[in-house]
Amino acid sequence: MGLGQLASRALFRSTRLASSKPQLLLRRAIVSTPDLHNSGAAAAEAQPEPDLPKRNPVAGARVHFPNPDDVIEVFVDGYPVKIPKGMTVLQACEIAGVDIPRFCYHSRLSIAGNCRMCLVEVEKSPKPVASCAMPALPGKGWSFMKMVGFGMKIKTDTPLAKKAREGVMEFLLMNHPLDCPICDQGGECDLQDQSMAFGSDRGRFTEVKRSVVDKNLGPLVKTVMTRCIQCTRCVRFATEVAGVQDLGMLGRGSGEEIGTYVEKLMTSELSGNVIDICPVGALTSKPFAFKARNWELKGTESIDVTDAVGSNIRIDSRGPEVMRIVPRLNEDINEEWISDKTRFFYDGLKRQRLNDPMIRGADGRFKTVSWRDALAVVAEVIHQVKPEEIVGVAGKLSDAESMMALKDFLNTMGSNNIWCEGNGPNPNADLRSGYIMNTSINGLEKADVFLLVEAAMVNARIRKTVRATSAKVGYVGPPADFNYDHEHLGTGPETLTELSEGRHPFYSALSNAKNPAIIVGAGIFGRNDKDAIFSVVEKIAKNINAVRPDWNGLNVLLLNAAQAAALDLGLVPQSEKSIENAKFLYLMGADDENLDKLPNDAFVVYQGHHGDRGVYRANVILPASAFSEKEGTYANTEGCAQTTVPAVPTVGDARDDWKIIRALSEVAGVRLPYDSLSAIRSRISTVAPNLLNADEREAAAFSTSSLRPEVKEKMDNSAPFGTAVENFYMTDSITRASKIMAQCSASLSKK
Amino acid sequence: MASTMKYVRVPPNSASLAEARQRVFEFFKTACRSIPSIMEIYTLDDVTSPSQLRSVISSEIRKNAHITNPKMDQLQRIEPDVIDMLLFKGTEELCNIVEHSKQRHHILGQYVLNREDRTHDIGNKDQGASDFLKSFYKSNY
Repeated sequence: MGLGQLASRALFRSTRLASSKPQLLLRRAIVSTPDLHNSGAAAAEAQPEPDLPKRNPVAGARVHFPNPDDVIEVFVDGYPVKIPKGMTVLQACEIAGVDIPRFCYHSRLSIAGNCRMCLVEVEKSPKPVASCAMPALPGKGWSFMKMVGFGMKIKTDTPLAKKAREGVMEFLLMNHPLDCPICDQGGECDLQDQSMAFGSDRGRFTEVKRSVVDKNLGPLVKTVMTRCIQCTRCVRFATEVAGVQDLGMLGRGSGEEIGTYVEKLMTSELSGNVIDICPVGALTSKPFAFKARNWELKGTESIDVTDAVGSNIRIDSRGPEVMRIVPRLNEDINEEWISDKTRFFYDGLKRQRLNDPMIRGADGRFKTVSWRDALAVVAEVIHQVKPEEIVGVAGKLSDAESMMALKDFLNTMGSNNIWCEGNGPNPNADLRSGYIMNTSINGLEKADVFLLVEAAMVNARIRKTVRATSAKVGYVGPPADFNYDHEHLGTGPETLTELSEGRHPFYSALSNAKNPAIIVGAGIFGRNDKDAIFSVVEKIAKNINAVRPDWNGLNVLLLNAAQAAALDLGLVPQSEKSIENAKFLYLMGADDENLDKLPNDAFVVYQGHHGDRGVYRANVILPASAFSEKEGTYANTEGCAQTTVPAVPTVGDARDDWKIIRALSEVAGVRLPYDSLSAIRSRISTVAPNLLNADEREAAAFSTSSLRPEVKEKMDNSAPFGTAVENFYMTDSITRASKIMAQCSASLSKK
Repeated sequence: MASTMKYVRVPPNSASLAEARQRVFEFFKTACRSIPSIMEIYTLDDVTSPSQLRSVISSEIRKNAHITNPKMDQLQRIEPDVIDMLLFKGTEELCNIVEHSKQRHHILGQYVLNREDRTHDIGNKDQGASDFLKSFYKSNY
């Protein structure tokens, strides 16, 4: 948090003002009286006094003025600042560069105003005001002193404000247990930081402290409710952002407890975020309990790959181990939240890791060999096989560089049978708008009607829009549990036909919408009638005018981190029947591919980091590095390319994916032309340059509605849509190896 | 706790190379005997096994195997002295580990992870290999 800065700033400002105070007081005493009677002089005096330095907003934030006419000017510690109407005093102070201490206020949750730590003094107010709740008013009108254009005068560092903070801190600490040595939040605790910065040096409490019984919220959130200061951030988060009204405040006064009252576990996928939100150590991470202190950890900014959202995370590691995963702020993609799977799957990175190359001997058992031998064997086999019998499958967690290398290698060997898991046997990678989320994740906030076709994630954003603007949501697919009001329109493709022909009652809502959004889930890719379904969806989109130059509402929600990049790079197989005719299969981390049709004498090479399903059929195992150990580019479902950064060293003898393929190509005699990461990135730039503009989202240029050819197939109306994700907690090789995910799926899955 | 290492009391001079050699073997045995308690202290059960730790210890000792030439010089005590010094450092390290003065990630990084494999054959198979391939065979970085 910025509270270390806050403390230093508070100290700095108090010393600075202490030195200049007599001068200011003197000036104010002289200036105020003529000011009151002379509004012209007031306007002239409104310029900042020369001894006050220019203030920057807290954390470099920018102010957005939705309506340029509605601008108020208020004074924060004598410094005038312009704010849009409707902002609170606390936000005005933030723009002025003053960070006010708070516990219950959070910028993404509703205002509670119950901690009282944000008290500041406002001139002409009898008592200090809670700045998080008080709107910044343009001026108080007193009839006999015409103060036209005089803003509210906010003072944050007067003795009254300081006394208020000390008092509030004393009250908070009265019932707070002396748990700092055993509390996980020590070192990153708001209460600790703010008591050092704003609290008094001694307490006066001599009675007995109260204690509260701990609540069981599941295998992820550890609760020590004695430490709770009843700020209600978790309650507001659960009701507003997560949509489950699990938590509530029970009782009154000093007997208040936060809990679920009924013995209910927090089953929401965003339940881990209450750990970040809680300012004290009441709600902490159960898998991370007692494992490390935050100053021992090295934070590395990286990207999450367990799903296609590409949430920004910070991997905290100590030595060679990943200790925990914490979200990073990214307004466009994940705001400040990450799902439970992202937060807690890191212990799967330590189990079942492949660390040596292995070859299956004649008796069926694996034998550890050196890299030389393993690559020599693979190169030998690949030359004995005909080009069209070579097949490559990229896995869910593959980064763009390795997929580029695999495609180049297979193409130089003469084969084009390569695809990415999850894209189905016949993906259509011609038009980018056909497989990414065209309204970006951020843009979903502007939509007012949604039509979801078998999609299950990105719910938090949709929920935010539904809450803010009461957007309507229609859902076609198997009965599912959403946290916002939705209409279940049907379960199969026939509902889509009804919608496209305008017969369905929901169609009127869709056609009246200004910014309709249609989200198609990627489970559709696996169906045989995929093209037909897409053409029907596009017809709906055309009828409701969802695709316009300024707004493209037809979206595809991908499931895996590697799908978007794979389609950008053109990993499209030549024939759908490649598995049946394969004699050489190269699995690059692909564990969920259906290998039933593979012939028994096919030679399978598995290159990955976990010994998951892929190794059971493999003949040669090449150990690769996981996403936390390599620098890779991933494109998320909206097409934004992001890179991971290595946080921990690779395990054992593993190598980076693209390096293995490059070495294999050299041993096989068809050396690929790149030797370093920058070289392979320049190769990517010739194929898909958007993957190199990291953190930028490039919208699709053409829309599929007008350019796709007519489809002659009929939809398979008898097959209703199924769920693409059966078990949310165990979707890929890392999450399946994780003990925490196993606990979650056993206790928290909504069955 | 387990500073019951004999070395802290013994005079630092070995009489001859044979005695130093004896001392090395005794050190190795002491280290191997303390492996179970090390595995328990740092909970290394799921990352390594006692036999792997034994081979790690032996490889560390073998790293200094070249200091055994029984060259006689003026001061005949020089060679065993070096071995004594190395033994002392080894004992110190072992004491630190056994007393829990280190932490898990130290043990993991120094003794468990990223050990070079025995299966690397030193060979004549590298003519015609590019620099990339040579450094690929050696390590990931």
